[in-house]
Amino acid sequence: MKNINERDLPVQWMNWISKREIMTRITDIDAFEKMSGKLQKQKDPNRKSVCVCGGSACIATGSLGLIDLFEKEFKAHGIEDEVDILVTGCHGFCEKGPLVVIRPEGIFYPMVKKEDVPGIVKETVIDGKVIESLLYVDPMTNEKIVYEHDVPFYKKQKRLVLGQNGLIDPMVITDYITVGGYKAFASVLASMTSDEVIDLIIDSGLKGRGGGGFPTGIKWKLCKNAKGKIKNIVCNADEGDPGAYMDRSILEGNPHSVIEGMLIGGFAITASVGYIYVRTEYPLAIERLKKAIEQAKEFGLIGDDILGTGFSFDIEIREGSGAFVCGEETSLMHSIEGLSPEPSQRPPFPVESGLWGNPTNINNVETWAVVPLIISNGSKYFSDIGTENSKGTKIFSLVGKINNSGLVEVPMGISLGEIINGIGGGIPDGKSFKAVQTGGPSGGCIPASLMDIPVDYEKLAEVGSIMGSGGMVVMDEDTCVIDIAKYFLSFTNDESCGKCASCRDGSKAMLDILTRISEGHGKPKDIDLLVELGEAVKDASQCGLGQTLSNPVLSTIKYFRDEYNAHIVDKKCPAHVCKALVTYSINSEECIGCGVCLKNCSVGAITGSLKAAHSIDTGKCTKCGVCREVCKFNAVIVE
Amino acid sequence: MIKKTEKTKSGSVLVVGGGIAGIQSSLDLAESGFKVYLLEETPAIGGTMAQLDKTFPTNDCAMCVISPKLVGAGRHLNIDLITNSELVSVSGEAGNFMVKVKKNPRYIDSEKCTGCGACVEACPVSNIIQCVEEPYVRLSDGDLQKVRFILDKYIGVKGNLMPILQQINKTFNYLPSDVLRYVSIELGVGLSEIYNIASFYNSFSLTPRGRHTIKVCMGTTCYVKGGERLLDKVKDEFGIDNGETSEDMRFTIESVACLGCCGLAPAIMVNDEVYGKVKVSNIMKILEKYK
Repeated sequence: MKNINERDLPVQWMNWISKREIMTRITDIDAFEKMSGKLQKQKDPNRKSVCVCGGSACIATGSLGLIDLFEKEFKAHGIEDEVDILVTGCHGFCEKGPLVVIRPEGIFYPMVKKEDVPGIVKETVIDGKVIESLLYVDPMTNEKIVYEHDVPFYKKQKRLVLGQNGLIDPMVITDYITVGGYKAFASVLASMTSDEVIDLIIDSGLKGRGGGGFPTGIKWKLCKNAKGKIKNIVCNADEGDPGAYMDRSILEGNPHSVIEGMLIGGFAITASVGYIYVRTEYPLAIERLKKAIEQAKEFGLIGDDILGTGFSFDIEIREGSGAFVCGEETSLMHSIEGLSPEPSQRPPFPVESGLWGNPTNINNVETWAVVPLIISNGSKYFSDIGTENSKGTKIFSLVGKINNSGLVEVPMGISLGEIINGIGGGIPDGKSFKAVQTGGPSGGCIPASLMDIPVDYEKLAEVGSIMGSGGMVVMDEDTCVIDIAKYFLSFTNDESCGKCASCRDGSKAMLDILTRISEGHGKPKDIDLLVELGEAVKDASQCGLGQTLSNPVLSTIKYFRDEYNAHIVDKKCPAHVCKALVTYSINSEECIGCGVCLKNCSVGAITGSLKAAHSIDTGKCTKCGVCREVCKFNAVIVE
Repeated sequence: MIKKTEKTKSGSVLVVGGGIAGIQSSLDLAESGFKVYLLEETPAIGGTMAQLDKTFPTNDCAMCVISPKLVGAGRHLNIDLITNSELVSVSGEAGNFMVKVKKNPRYIDSEKCTGCGACVEACPVSNIIQCVEEPYVRLSDGDLQKVRFILDKYIGVKGNLMPILQQINKTFNYLPSDVLRYVSIELGVGLSEIYNIASFYNSFSLTPRGRHTIKVCMGTTCYVKGGERLLDKVKDEFGIDNGETSEDMRFTIESVACLGCCGLAPAIMVNDEVYGKVKVSNIMKILEKYK
């Protein structure tokens, strides 16, 4: 496992980037078009390349170590000039990392280990043969799948934004230009007025991808028409929702697409400065963004008098410091200004009076990344996808108790069931599907019975959840909804900035009630009290955090009232999660007396002699669950 | 026997330090009938709280809380304020102490002074009253150099406080109070404002941190997959709570909202390295290599 700071990146990576860079400042549009055309022509579609995923998740499973090995093997076979090795951004299928794809065929090897590398080089890269044992096996059909595009996880997606992630090296600007990057921006500069750009975005029907779902084009128009000489744009990359990481993936995998989107936005709004506010928990994203901005500056795509058109635009990175509320636009701006990041009353909206009192347009990472696609393909290309009111595609992070967890990009209007079963491959270990939680701490739980609803802004709101930034956490029968509601409330209670009493104290009061219920001290009236409190907090809070924090509670009460009653009346946790309501014991028939649990128990609650059934002293047991985790015979029972 | 000791007890109390704690104890003691001497080093009582804008965690206005107490302490017949004075020595035993107090000169007869403020206006040297406490900063040369390096990059930049604090936090691994004081003076930003921001964000620490930071992900996915049990395990193992540092300064434990590695849940991050699919049974093995 490698460190992900730049200082520790492999030396080859660094050398190899500098080898491929042609750093010349481009001073007019024609020169750019020429270079872009030349790069595209130079690219040999049949050239062999090995793409190793360099997303955070794959790095954590050791993908950077593979790169060194591949290089070594190439040298050993003398093919280092014929085959490229690419460290790409996140491919999305994080569950199966580290991922390796051999192009141009697109042969897909998941979970590659170091010892597999020589074989891959010898057999697949040189001889063109597929190694059966390394192939991906579909958990639904048990079939082996050779090509990346045939894997069900990818097959059913529509990857507009994420599509380039697996093809380019995020640290090399020319890679992005080779796949048509910055062309949209050049065409905007060459032949469009700012109003035309805004109209095009309005026509496309693009809505903000950060959660609010406000039409992007209209926001731009409001900002452009607002009074004020200096205008700012901000890219909100403070992806705080637990369970969502698509912004991280875009920033790490294709930072130039976000920069290009911001340049186009800056041109449309007539802004001169753009800020990218990234959370500090994403060190790799920050490094890659810095590198991308540096390269774009050297090419003359950011700075003064861009491509000789007189348009000047600068982009700065600002790091967050770990406060969830900073994802809220007014508090984000206060944080950039160096003030205490508490939200402020709207109106005035940021488009009228934002950063330092200037009109400011804030959009999410994903929104910015979509913009170049709309410009280069036209508004119809985008508006043809999706439902009546929700256009285009949306990236979801499909995670939790699901077979294929990872990032999925799907057209709006696809059914929830299709995402979970079709792409996600269902629930592991034969467990039954219980609910899916969308939209992070501001969203709600959608039960299995509503799996047929189409996923778009309106429908999700109707069933008591939200689209949010696109987190989708799947839960099976072993997940307790009260525990989940409690989890989200303790999160929002912790992250509440404390300005509004309703949010600060309301979340605390609700959390106390939920804790009481989960400990078996709930009262029958508690459910109604929770609903009443939840509604009050919703009405009385100033910003999005407070207005939505009761959603997880209200939606679980709506769909899982039985489970609340089980906790309150029967004092039982049906999912066996709430510690106070469960006991651990050992099934003497299954236990073979191997002693592993005894060795691992940190409080000495397990007794028994070798080869005889063990038992748990419930008085000593702290219900930590280690015994259940280490038992290979499923002999530990939780009731 | 009892009577004898009762007699030797003096029935009066000396409270040292006129901050909010000192004032409140004096008021409580005075109310219950003791004669209180409230000793304060600076010329006025009130301490740090009187300088704050808001107080944690309720964001109540600090002055609204403290000013009735200031007035109360000043008026109470059982409280004698001894300001601008230092404690020199204490002798005796419980119930009968002898205390030596050094009263610093004011050059003003406090018996006669009505507090009209005319002298302040007439004095040609300004800033004497405002600057009651000399802003002293004791930084070692090395520290000073580090701070200067950071400040020089950002002085004059709009919205520079956040990046400065981040750099300091990175360099020192926490926000030392003397450094913050220095930054406050250099930037001309009130210390209370700096603390307001420093205490707001999770990644800033006001206490020294361990050599390694264990961040246990508490994102939804990690939580659903048992992240809390990992947190409990490390907390138990080192005997410290969330956000605290082990005694040998080896580890600081923190829970974070989401590491964005949901595909590998449950995940932990030690310093900058991410570990996925961690189990309660193997977490200690991972931590072994961090000495």
